[in-house]
Amino acid sequence: MLRRTALATSALLIGALLLTSCTASSSGPAPSGEADPDARLTVRLSLEPSNLDIRHTSGAALEQALIDNVYQGLVTRDGDQDNEIVPALATEWTVSPDGLSYTFTLRQGVTFHDGSALTADDVVTSLQTAKDDATIQNSADLANVASISSPDASTVVLTLAKPNIDFLFALTGRAGLIFKNGDTTAFQTAENGTGPFRVQTWNTGQSLTLARYDGYWGDKAGVAQVVLDYIPDQSAATNAAVSGDVDVALEIDPELQSQIEGTGNFTIESGLTTDKGILAFNNQRAPLADQRVREALRLAVDHNALAETLITAQPLNGPIPPLDPGYEDLTGSVSYNPDRARELLAEAGADNLSLTLTIPNVYPGTLATFLVSSYADVGVKLQVKQVDFSTWLTDVYTNHDYDLSFVRHVEARDFGNWADPTYYFGFDNTEVQNLYAQSLATTDAQQSSDLLAEAARIVDDQDAADWLFLSAPRAAVGTHVSNFPKNSLNVRLPLADVTVSSE
Amino acid sequence: VIRYALTRLGLLVVGLVVASALIFVSLRVLPGDVAQLVGGTQASPDQVAALRESLGLNVPLWQQYLAWIGGLLCGDLGTSLLTGTPVVTELLAKAQVTLPLAAMSLVVALVVGIPFGVLSALGRRRAGGTALNVGAQALAAVPVVWAGMMLVVVFAVGLGWLPPQGFPRAGWNDPGAAFRALILPAVTIGVVEGAMLLRFVRSATLQALGQDYVRTAAAKGLTRTRALLRHGLPNVGLSIITVLGLQIAGIIVGAVVVEQLFTLPGVGRMLVADVAARDLPKVQGELLALTGFVLVVGFVVDLLHRVIDPRQREAS
Repeated sequence: MLRRTALATSALLIGALLLTSCTASSSGPAPSGEADPDARLTVRLSLEPSNLDIRHTSGAALEQALIDNVYQGLVTRDGDQDNEIVPALATEWTVSPDGLSYTFTLRQGVTFHDGSALTADDVVTSLQTAKDDATIQNSADLANVASISSPDASTVVLTLAKPNIDFLFALTGRAGLIFKNGDTTAFQTAENGTGPFRVQTWNTGQSLTLARYDGYWGDKAGVAQVVLDYIPDQSAATNAAVSGDVDVALEIDPELQSQIEGTGNFTIESGLTTDKGILAFNNQRAPLADQRVREALRLAVDHNALAETLITAQPLNGPIPPLDPGYEDLTGSVSYNPDRARELLAEAGADNLSLTLTIPNVYPGTLATFLVSSYADVGVKLQVKQVDFSTWLTDVYTNHDYDLSFVRHVEARDFGNWADPTYYFGFDNTEVQNLYAQSLATTDAQQSSDLLAEAARIVDDQDAADWLFLSAPRAAVGTHVSNFPKNSLNVRLPLADVTVSSE
Repeated sequence: VIRYALTRLGLLVVGLVVASALIFVSLRVLPGDVAQLVGGTQASPDQVAALRESLGLNVPLWQQYLAWIGGLLCGDLGTSLLTGTPVVTELLAKAQVTLPLAAMSLVVALVVGIPFGVLSALGRRRAGGTALNVGAQALAAVPVVWAGMMLVVVFAVGLGWLPPQGFPRAGWNDPGAAFRALILPAVTIGVVEGAMLLRFVRSATLQALGQDYVRTAAAKGLTRTRALLRHGLPNVGLSIITVLGLQIAGIIVGAVVVEQLFTLPGVGRMLVADVAARDLPKVQGELLALTGFVLVVGFVVDLLHRVIDPRQREAS
């Protein structure tokens, strides 16, 4: 009997090894039926918000889950149409020729989830509070607003102190969200927005469940319920997709993608993002204050090979990604050339250079390993200091205590960081600062974009940082799911139009 | 027995006080803070300072500690800085996953450890006993993560019998699904802990086999196996209770790992997330609750020993 147990155990082990080496058999795409209005859509996400207080708590996870779904501003952006500004709580708006006055016409028949109607007063106080209260996220976006008023019940006028071409875009962000005046909701765990979904339940450490809001002003949401399933572990997420626990899985591991494809129930999609993998050089501190050293470090990295290694990435050659205004293909401005890198380092007198890379531990080790070997090839010793994100915020972001640092900057239109010498990049260039200020002040979109492109060229030319890659995350979308959004899903996940067909 | 129990209880309280101080201090040494995380990469230093003030992080440390201890005495473990929820509420919610998981793991460990440990000792000169012992050696050395992944590959992805990850959103309102969700995680922890237990039971049994009273009983006409079962096992049982007390701590550590692996919304996963978010009032409450749990188990084990073992009972 004992021998039989031993035999069974070894059979089991052999079986396990066999199973890991083969993929599940394909069963063909599921038949697409009618959209089911009672359906539930389950989406795998990786990063859970730490609370639901979108006004006060940072983090892309909050914007991803709540903006457009639960909370809305006067305007929003359409990620799948080049981030075009589209109406939300305002039906239309006009901008005065001098670019100083924005007049919004409020949508009628909008209600908050508690049933009360949206008023012009709610809009004015929301924006005024966001401007005045510095603890509100992105409050600085409204610093330039001189006055907010409501001449009649369906109009709100915002006047700026100086023109800002990015102002409407800023209103699509957190500072532009509209809340009920005097709302006493416990926003850390509950909500009261105007969006197509209500928050139904939040099981911390597990999932956030949204339910269709039947009093919504526009087309009602296509599904009755959305479950955002927070599964950090990549293999658990793959298993969840393979076993049909989720209808859509975002940010899947490309190494495990074939298992999901093998079921025949998913199509793999890849969208554009503004998620920039930036290797920051401490421009304020020797030896990286020397441009030759910065250029050498950029020349030492084969960016195409890096993108291939990471799979879900593409080379990004300058500070501005393709989705943002001012983008220009800067390919070739710096191309892989270790010999030139060694020369530059010798010129700069930086032999036997030893540098430290501070990198949050949420990023895969592949990246650091790649950099270590690339730099070793040109004689630079790179020490990798893995820290948790909180430590990174203190050491790098606040205290600027670093040589090299890597994080992903997911925000759209954040070129301003290169024009702010107090930002942790420490890049201080008067010309860039002037060009950026001009690009904001003009009312002509094309001119603004040209000015940004010019500033970006200088930032790139000065080797202010190394733009390692642009993330191109992959999503597995169930074949029974329609209208799922594609672009910038790590900051916006508008789900109102998504439908799920009955099988 | 009562005086002994009181002494032990005193030690338990001292242990908790020391633990609370250690937890409090070690968490304050961690770099980074919650205000910085809440503010994020868009906040200016002034904004972070304002947040720090509003979150009460500027209060002197000794005052924070005393306030925490004061709350503890009234049964209040503290309040989360991020969600405003009492730590006790959160712990009770998450314990609904972790406690059943720990209990099921313990059952698996016992089922694996005790019968097979005794069998392996009895058959130590035969192939079967040796195979069991070698198998247990190997299993005890297996990392929990790997064991869990293998189980998922075979029973969840391969055979489709059990869910590969997650816990039903309805929780224990859907008892069947909840139970099924915990089977693989419990087996993962239980088999590894059980293999360690097996080896201990084996050596304790072997020791008992060599004892005079077993030989005497055998001389009186019992078979060696029956002599062991009648007279040896009660002695083995005593030492097993001690080991089990230690293994409960191992099971809790295992739960932290396994909850990550299987995406279970339990105490372990909450703890890891809270450390990352620097929600220190919550982390210290959770750590103290876990420490308290392990200390209480130790206390109960000591008492059980007293009550069960006639020699210790007489001595007191």
